[in-house]
Amino acid sequence: MQFTPELEFPGGRVKPLHYDDIDALYELYQHPEIPGQRPLQDKEHLNRMVEYSVQMAATQRGMMWAIEIDGDIKGMVSGFDWQPSQLRIMMRVDALPTLTIKEREQALNVCIDFLVNKYHIRNFAYQWIAGQKEDIKTMLLGMSFNHTATLRDAWRTGEKTFADVLQYHFLSSKEKPVPKRLGDGHDENYSPGQNLNAGKGGAS
Amino acid sequence: MNWNFDTDNYTIRLPISEQDGDALYALLSDQSAVKHIPRAAMTVENQAIDELRRIAMRFEGREAVSWLIERKADGQLLARISVQYINWMMLNTQMQWELSPECDLAVLQEVVPAVLKLLSNDLQLHRIEMRVRSGNEEYKTNLEALGFKHEGQLPAQFEYEGGDVDLDVYSILASEF
Repeated sequence: MQFTPELEFPGGRVKPLHYDDIDALYELYQHPEIPGQRPLQDKEHLNRMVEYSVQMAATQRGMMWAIEIDGDIKGMVSGFDWQPSQLRIMMRVDALPTLTIKEREQALNVCIDFLVNKYHIRNFAYQWIAGQKEDIKTMLLGMSFNHTATLRDAWRTGEKTFADVLQYHFLSSKEKPVPKRLGDGHDENYSPGQNLNAGKGGAS
Repeated sequence: MNWNFDTDNYTIRLPISEQDGDALYALLSDQSAVKHIPRAAMTVENQAIDELRRIAMRFEGREAVSWLIERKADGQLLARISVQYINWMMLNTQMQWELSPECDLAVLQEVVPAVLKLLSNDLQLHRIEMRVRSGNEEYKTNLEALGFKHEGQLPAQFEYEGGDVDLDVYSILASEF
Protein backbone atom coordinates (compact mmCIF):
# COMPACT_ATOMS: atom_id res chain seq x y z
CA MET A 1 0.00 0.00 0.00
CA GLN A 2 1.21 3.48 -0.80
CA PHE A 3 -0.02 6.36 1.30
CA THR A 4 2.50 8.99 0.28
CA PRO A 5 2.07 10.06 -3.35
CA GLU A 6 4.50 11.43 -5.88
CA LEU A 7 3.56 15.02 -6.65
CA GLU A 8 5.00 17.18 -9.38
CA PHE A 9 5.71 20.88 -9.38
CA PRO A 10 7.40 23.06 -12.00
CA GLY A 11 11.02 21.91 -12.17
CA GLY A 12 10.79 19.03 -9.78
CA ARG A 13 8.72 16.63 -7.73
CA VAL A 14 8.26 15.26 -4.25
CA LYS A 15 8.21 11.51 -3.73
CA PRO A 16 8.00 8.99 -0.89
CA LEU A 17 11.22 8.13 0.91
CA HIS A 18 12.80 4.92 -0.33
CA TYR A 19 15.64 2.75 0.89
CA ASP A 20 17.44 3.45 -2.42
CA ASP A 21 17.63 7.11 -1.37
CA ILE A 22 19.58 6.51 1.83
CA ASP A 23 22.87 7.89 0.47
CA ALA A 24 21.19 11.05 -0.78
CA LEU A 25 19.32 11.51 2.49
CA TYR A 26 22.57 11.01 4.39
CA GLU A 27 24.12 13.81 2.34
CA LEU A 28 21.13 16.01 3.18
CA TYR A 29 21.62 15.35 6.88
CA GLN A 30 25.26 16.41 6.62
CA HIS A 31 23.95 19.97 6.11
CA PRO A 32 21.51 20.58 8.96
CA GLU A 33 19.74 23.92 8.67
CA ILE A 34 18.44 24.07 12.20
CA PRO A 35 20.61 25.72 14.85
CA GLY A 36 22.15 23.24 17.23
CA GLN A 37 21.55 20.26 14.97
CA ARG A 38 24.67 18.23 14.21
CA PRO A 39 25.48 16.30 11.03
CA LEU A 40 24.11 12.78 11.19
CA GLN A 41 26.72 10.22 12.21
CA ASP A 42 24.98 6.89 11.76
CA LYS A 43 23.51 6.13 8.36
CA GLU A 44 21.51 3.30 9.89
CA HIS A 45 19.17 5.90 11.41
CA LEU A 46 17.94 6.69 7.93
CA ASN A 47 16.79 3.13 7.35
CA ARG A 48 14.61 3.51 10.39
CA MET A 49 13.43 6.91 9.18
CA VAL A 50 12.28 5.43 5.86
CA GLU A 51 10.47 2.72 7.79
CA TYR A 52 8.87 5.30 10.08
CA SER A 53 7.79 7.42 7.12
CA VAL A 54 5.65 4.54 5.85
CA GLN A 55 4.24 3.73 9.28
CA MET A 56 3.47 7.37 10.05
CA ALA A 57 1.64 7.91 6.78
CA ALA A 58 -0.35 4.70 7.17
CA THR A 59 -1.51 5.71 10.63
CA GLN A 60 -2.00 9.40 9.83
CA ARG A 61 0.65 10.58 12.24
CA GLY A 62 2.90 12.19 9.68
CA MET A 63 4.02 12.21 6.06
CA MET A 64 7.48 12.62 4.57
CA TRP A 65 8.55 13.37 1.03
CA ALA A 66 11.94 13.68 -0.64
CA ILE A 67 12.32 16.77 -2.84
CA GLU A 68 13.81 15.80 -6.18
CA ILE A 69 15.19 18.35 -8.65
CA ASP A 70 16.57 17.10 -11.96
CA GLY A 71 16.77 13.60 -10.53
CA ASP A 72 18.72 14.59 -7.43
CA ILE A 73 17.35 14.68 -3.91
CA LYS A 74 17.84 18.15 -2.52
CA GLY A 75 15.57 18.20 0.46
CA MET A 76 12.66 16.82 2.37
CA VAL A 77 9.17 18.00 3.23
CA SER A 78 7.80 16.58 6.46
CA GLY A 79 4.42 16.79 8.09
CA PHE A 80 4.44 15.71 11.72
CA ASP A 81 2.39 16.07 14.89
CA TRP A 82 -0.59 15.33 12.64
CA GLN A 83 -3.87 15.57 14.53
CA PRO A 84 -6.41 14.11 12.09
CA SER A 85 -9.46 14.78 14.24
CA GLN A 86 -8.38 18.38 14.73
CA LEU A 87 -7.49 18.82 11.05
CA ARG A 88 -4.04 20.21 11.78
CA ILE A 89 -0.39 19.35 11.20
CA MET A 90 3.09 20.81 11.62
CA MET A 91 5.14 21.16 8.42
CA ARG A 92 8.90 21.34 8.00
CA VAL A 93 11.36 21.51 5.11
CA ASP A 94 14.98 20.39 5.33
CA ALA A 95 17.11 21.26 2.33
CA LEU A 96 20.56 21.28 0.88
CA PRO A 97 22.04 24.73 0.29
CA THR A 98 21.50 24.24 -3.43
CA LEU A 99 17.71 24.10 -3.14
CA THR A 100 16.38 27.52 -4.08
CA ILE A 101 13.79 29.29 -1.99
CA LYS A 102 11.41 29.06 -4.95
CA GLU A 103 11.85 25.29 -5.16
CA ARG A 104 11.37 25.03 -1.42
CA GLU A 105 8.12 26.96 -1.66
CA GLN A 106 6.81 24.93 -4.58
CA ALA A 107 7.59 21.65 -2.87
CA LEU A 108 5.92 22.73 0.35
CA ASN A 109 2.93 24.08 -1.56
CA VAL A 110 2.26 20.90 -3.49
CA CYS A 111 2.37 18.85 -0.27
CA ILE A 112 -0.01 21.23 1.50
CA ASP A 113 -2.41 21.10 -1.45
CA PHE A 114 -2.39 17.31 -1.29
CA LEU A 115 -3.05 17.26 2.46
CA VAL A 116 -5.88 19.77 2.10
CA ASN A 117 -7.61 17.87 -0.66
CA LYS A 118 -6.97 14.29 0.40
CA TYR A 119 -7.15 14.50 4.18
CA HIS A 120 -9.09 17.77 4.69
CA ILE A 121 -6.32 19.24 6.85
CA ARG A 122 -7.09 22.92 7.41
CA ASN A 123 -4.49 24.17 9.85
CA PHE A 124 -0.83 24.05 8.81
CA ALA A 125 1.83 25.21 11.25
CA TYR A 126 5.47 25.91 10.50
CA GLN A 127 8.17 26.74 13.02
CA TRP A 128 11.08 28.97 12.04
CA ILE A 129 13.93 28.74 14.50
CA ALA A 130 16.06 31.80 15.12
CA GLY A 131 19.25 31.35 13.15
CA GLN A 132 17.65 29.73 10.12
CA LYS A 133 17.69 31.52 6.78
CA GLU A 134 15.72 34.76 6.91
CA ASP A 135 14.21 34.20 3.47
CA ILE A 136 12.23 31.25 4.81
CA LYS A 137 10.14 33.73 6.81
CA THR A 138 9.52 35.79 3.69
CA MET A 139 8.56 32.63 1.83
CA LEU A 140 6.04 31.66 4.51
CA LEU A 141 4.39 35.08 4.49
CA GLY A 142 4.18 34.88 0.71
CA MET A 143 2.38 31.54 1.05
CA SER A 144 -0.28 33.14 3.28
CA PHE A 145 1.17 31.81 6.51
CA ASN A 146 0.78 34.26 9.40
CA HIS A 147 3.26 34.75 12.20
CA THR A 148 1.12 33.98 15.24
CA ALA A 149 3.51 33.54 18.17
CA THR A 150 7.14 33.82 19.19
CA LEU A 151 7.96 31.00 21.57
CA ARG A 152 10.88 32.24 23.64
CA ASP A 153 13.78 29.83 24.10
CA ALA A 154 11.64 26.96 22.86
CA TRP A 155 14.45 25.35 20.86
CA ARG A 156 17.53 24.06 22.62
CA THR A 157 20.71 24.62 20.68
CA GLY A 158 23.29 23.49 23.22
CA GLU A 159 23.80 22.39 26.79
CA LYS A 160 22.47 25.68 28.14
CA THR A 161 21.68 27.71 25.05
CA PHE A 162 18.31 28.20 23.43
CA ALA A 163 16.75 29.86 20.40
CA ASP A 164 13.36 31.49 19.91
CA VAL A 165 10.83 29.72 17.71
CA LEU A 166 8.58 31.79 15.47
CA GLN A 167 5.37 29.91 14.84
CA TYR A 168 3.43 30.47 11.64
CA HIS A 169 0.01 29.16 10.67
CA PHE A 170 -1.81 28.81 7.39
CA LEU A 171 -5.54 28.15 7.66
CA SER A 172 -7.07 26.69 4.53
CA SER A 173 -10.28 28.33 3.40
CA LYS A 174 -11.63 25.01 2.18
CA GLU A 175 -14.87 23.93 3.83
CA LYS A 176 -14.59 21.45 6.66
CA PRO A 177 -15.65 17.90 5.78
CA VAL A 178 -19.28 17.19 6.57
CA PRO A 179 -19.67 14.31 9.02
CA LYS A 180 -21.77 11.42 7.80
CA ARG A 181 -22.60 7.96 8.95
CA LEU A 182 -19.62 5.65 8.62
CA GLY A 183 -19.78 3.67 5.40
CA ASP A 184 -22.37 5.90 3.77
CA GLY A 185 -21.80 7.78 0.57
CA HIS A 186 -18.88 5.73 -0.70
CA ASP A 187 -18.52 3.49 -3.72
CA GLU A 188 -17.45 -0.15 -3.57
CA ASN A 189 -13.76 0.77 -3.67
CA TYR A 190 -13.98 2.88 -0.54
CA SER A 191 -11.14 2.29 1.89
CA PRO A 192 -11.24 3.90 5.31
CA GLY A 193 -7.44 3.83 5.30
CA GLN A 194 -7.46 6.05 2.21
CA ASN A 195 -4.56 4.17 0.66
CA LEU A 196 -3.75 5.34 -2.81
CA ASN A 197 -3.75 1.87 -4.35
CA ALA A 198 -7.31 1.03 -3.44
CA GLY A 199 -9.17 -0.07 -6.53
CA LYS A 200 -5.96 -0.41 -8.55
CA GLY A 201 -5.18 -3.99 -7.72
CA GLY A 202 -3.49 -3.21 -4.41
CA ALA A 203 -4.67 -4.43 -1.07
CA SER A 204 -7.44 -2.37 0.40
CA MET B 1 13.83 14.12 45.22
CA ASN B 2 10.78 15.15 47.22
CA TRP B 3 7.70 15.63 45.06
CA ASN B 4 5.58 16.79 48.01
CA PHE B 5 6.33 20.15 49.59
CA ASP B 6 4.57 23.09 51.14
CA THR B 7 4.44 26.83 51.49
CA ASP B 8 3.38 28.87 54.51
CA ASN B 9 -0.31 28.22 53.97
CA TYR B 10 -0.61 25.40 51.45
CA THR B 11 0.40 21.80 50.95
CA ILE B 12 1.50 20.87 47.43
CA ARG B 13 1.44 17.12 46.97
CA LEU B 14 1.04 14.35 44.44
CA PRO B 15 -2.46 12.82 44.36
CA ILE B 16 -3.20 9.57 46.15
CA SER B 17 -5.44 7.37 44.05
CA GLU B 18 -7.20 5.70 46.97
CA GLN B 19 -8.16 8.88 48.80
CA ASP B 20 -8.43 11.86 46.45
CA GLY B 21 -11.29 10.80 44.17
CA ASP B 22 -14.05 12.75 45.90
CA ALA B 23 -12.08 15.98 46.25
CA LEU B 24 -10.81 15.83 42.68
CA TYR B 25 -14.32 15.21 41.40
CA ALA B 26 -15.62 18.18 43.36
CA LEU B 27 -12.98 20.37 41.72
CA LEU B 28 -13.22 19.07 38.16
CA SER B 29 -17.02 18.83 38.04
CA ASP B 30 -17.17 22.62 38.23
CA GLN B 31 -17.25 23.98 34.69
CA SER B 32 -15.65 27.25 35.77
CA ALA B 33 -12.49 25.33 36.72
CA VAL B 34 -11.96 23.95 33.21
CA LYS B 35 -13.46 26.58 30.91
CA HIS B 36 -10.06 28.09 30.08
CA ILE B 37 -8.67 24.82 28.66
CA PRO B 38 -11.50 24.43 27.48
CA ARG B 39 -12.85 21.05 28.52
CA ALA B 40 -16.18 19.69 29.67
CA ALA B 41 -16.53 19.33 33.42
CA MET B 42 -16.76 15.85 34.90
CA THR B 43 -20.27 14.54 35.33
CA VAL B 44 -19.82 11.23 37.14
CA GLU B 45 -17.53 10.39 40.04
CA ASN B 46 -15.82 7.51 38.29
CA GLN B 47 -14.22 10.01 35.92
CA ALA B 48 -12.14 11.27 38.83
CA ILE B 49 -11.01 7.72 39.61
CA ASP B 50 -10.03 7.26 35.97
CA GLU B 51 -8.21 10.57 36.02
CA LEU B 52 -6.23 9.59 39.11
CA ARG B 53 -5.21 6.37 37.37
CA ARG B 54 -4.08 8.34 34.30
CA ILE B 55 -2.15 10.77 36.49
CA ALA B 56 -0.28 7.87 38.11
CA MET B 57 0.54 6.27 34.74
CA ARG B 58 1.73 9.52 33.19
CA PHE B 59 3.87 10.25 36.22
CA GLU B 60 5.46 6.81 36.01
CA GLY B 61 6.12 7.45 32.33
CA ARG B 62 7.83 10.76 33.18
CA GLU B 63 5.52 12.59 30.83
CA ALA B 64 3.45 14.60 33.32
CA VAL B 65 3.12 15.55 36.97
CA SER B 66 0.01 16.70 38.81
CA TRP B 67 -0.03 18.31 42.21
CA LEU B 68 -3.01 18.93 44.43
CA ILE B 69 -2.99 22.21 46.32
CA GLU B 70 -4.55 21.96 49.77
CA ARG B 71 -5.10 24.69 52.31
CA LYS B 72 -3.30 23.74 55.51
CA ALA B 73 -5.94 25.29 57.75
CA ASP B 74 -8.74 22.97 56.73
CA GLY B 75 -7.37 20.52 54.18
CA GLN B 76 -9.61 21.95 51.45
CA LEU B 77 -8.50 21.15 47.90
CA LEU B 78 -8.14 24.51 46.15
CA ALA B 79 -6.53 23.58 42.85
CA ARG B 80 -4.72 21.09 40.73
CA ILE B 81 -1.54 22.25 39.01
CA SER B 82 -0.03 19.98 36.39
CA VAL B 83 2.81 19.94 33.92
CA GLN B 84 2.48 17.84 30.80
CA TYR B 85 4.21 17.27 27.47
CA ILE B 86 7.54 17.44 29.29
CA ASN B 87 10.21 17.66 26.61
CA TRP B 88 13.41 16.45 28.23
CA MET B 89 15.47 17.28 25.12
CA MET B 90 14.28 20.87 24.82
CA LEU B 91 13.90 21.29 28.61
CA ASN B 92 10.41 22.70 28.40
CA THR B 93 6.92 21.76 29.47
CA GLN B 94 3.32 22.96 29.46
CA MET B 95 1.67 23.90 32.74
CA GLN B 96 -2.06 23.62 33.25
CA TRP B 97 -4.24 24.28 36.23
CA GLU B 98 -7.79 23.91 37.41
CA LEU B 99 -8.74 26.34 40.17
CA SER B 100 -11.60 26.34 42.62
CA PRO B 101 -13.39 29.68 43.15
CA GLU B 102 -11.37 30.11 46.36
CA CYS B 103 -8.05 29.89 44.56
CA ASP B 104 -7.39 33.51 43.73
CA LEU B 105 -4.28 35.36 42.64
CA ALA B 106 -2.98 35.58 46.22
CA VAL B 107 -3.02 31.78 46.47
CA LEU B 108 -1.35 31.41 43.09
CA GLN B 109 1.34 33.90 44.04
CA GLU B 110 2.25 31.74 47.00
CA VAL B 111 2.00 28.37 45.29
CA VAL B 112 3.11 28.79 41.68
CA PRO B 113 6.62 30.12 42.43
CA ALA B 114 7.22 27.05 44.61
CA VAL B 115 6.18 24.76 41.75
CA LEU B 116 8.30 26.70 39.25
CA LYS B 117 11.29 26.48 41.56
CA LEU B 118 10.98 22.69 41.68
CA LEU B 119 10.62 22.48 37.90
CA SER B 120 13.76 24.55 37.43
CA ASN B 121 15.97 23.36 40.27
CA ASP B 122 15.07 19.69 40.44
CA LEU B 123 13.88 18.89 36.92
CA GLN B 124 16.22 21.36 35.17
CA LEU B 125 13.39 22.62 32.97
CA HIS B 126 14.11 25.95 31.26
CA ARG B 127 10.80 27.04 29.77
CA ILE B 128 7.37 26.68 31.34
CA GLU B 129 4.49 27.39 29.00
CA MET B 130 0.77 27.84 29.50
CA ARG B 131 -1.89 27.72 26.81
CA VAL B 132 -5.33 29.08 27.61
CA ARG B 133 -8.38 29.83 25.55
CA SER B 134 -7.95 33.21 23.91
CA GLY B 135 -9.78 36.18 25.28
CA ASN B 136 -9.80 35.15 28.94
CA GLU B 137 -8.95 38.40 30.73
CA GLU B 138 -8.83 36.82 34.19
CA TYR B 139 -6.14 34.40 33.08
CA LYS B 140 -4.20 37.10 31.31
CA THR B 141 -4.17 39.18 34.51
CA ASN B 142 -3.17 36.25 36.71
CA LEU B 143 -0.48 34.91 34.42
CA GLU B 144 1.13 38.29 33.88
CA ALA B 145 1.05 38.97 37.63
CA LEU B 146 2.94 35.69 38.08
CA GLY B 147 5.60 36.78 35.60
CA PHE B 148 4.42 34.90 32.51
CA LYS B 149 4.78 36.75 29.22
CA HIS B 150 2.24 36.61 26.41
CA GLU B 151 3.86 35.19 23.27
CA GLY B 152 1.01 35.10 20.79
CA GLN B 153 -1.98 33.12 19.75
CA LEU B 154 -2.24 29.69 18.14
CA PRO B 155 -5.32 29.60 15.91
CA ALA B 156 -7.87 26.81 15.55
CA GLN B 157 -6.11 24.29 17.77
CA PHE B 158 -9.22 22.15 18.19
CA GLU B 159 -12.98 22.25 18.05
CA TYR B 160 -15.13 22.69 21.13
CA GLU B 161 -18.89 23.12 21.24
CA GLY B 162 -19.05 23.60 17.50
CA GLY B 163 -16.39 26.27 17.16
CA ASP B 164 -12.66 26.53 16.59
CA VAL B 165 -10.65 27.26 19.70
CA ASP B 166 -7.68 29.65 19.59
CA LEU B 167 -5.14 29.38 22.37
CA ASP B 168 -3.08 32.21 23.87
CA VAL B 169 0.48 31.16 24.67
CA TYR B 170 2.29 32.43 27.76
CA SER B 171 5.67 31.40 29.09
CA ILE B 172 8.12 32.02 31.87
CA LEU B 173 11.81 31.12 31.66
CA ALA B 174 13.93 29.76 34.48
CA SER B 175 15.92 33.01 34.53
CA GLU B 176 12.73 34.95 35.22
CA PHE B 177 11.81 33.45 38.57
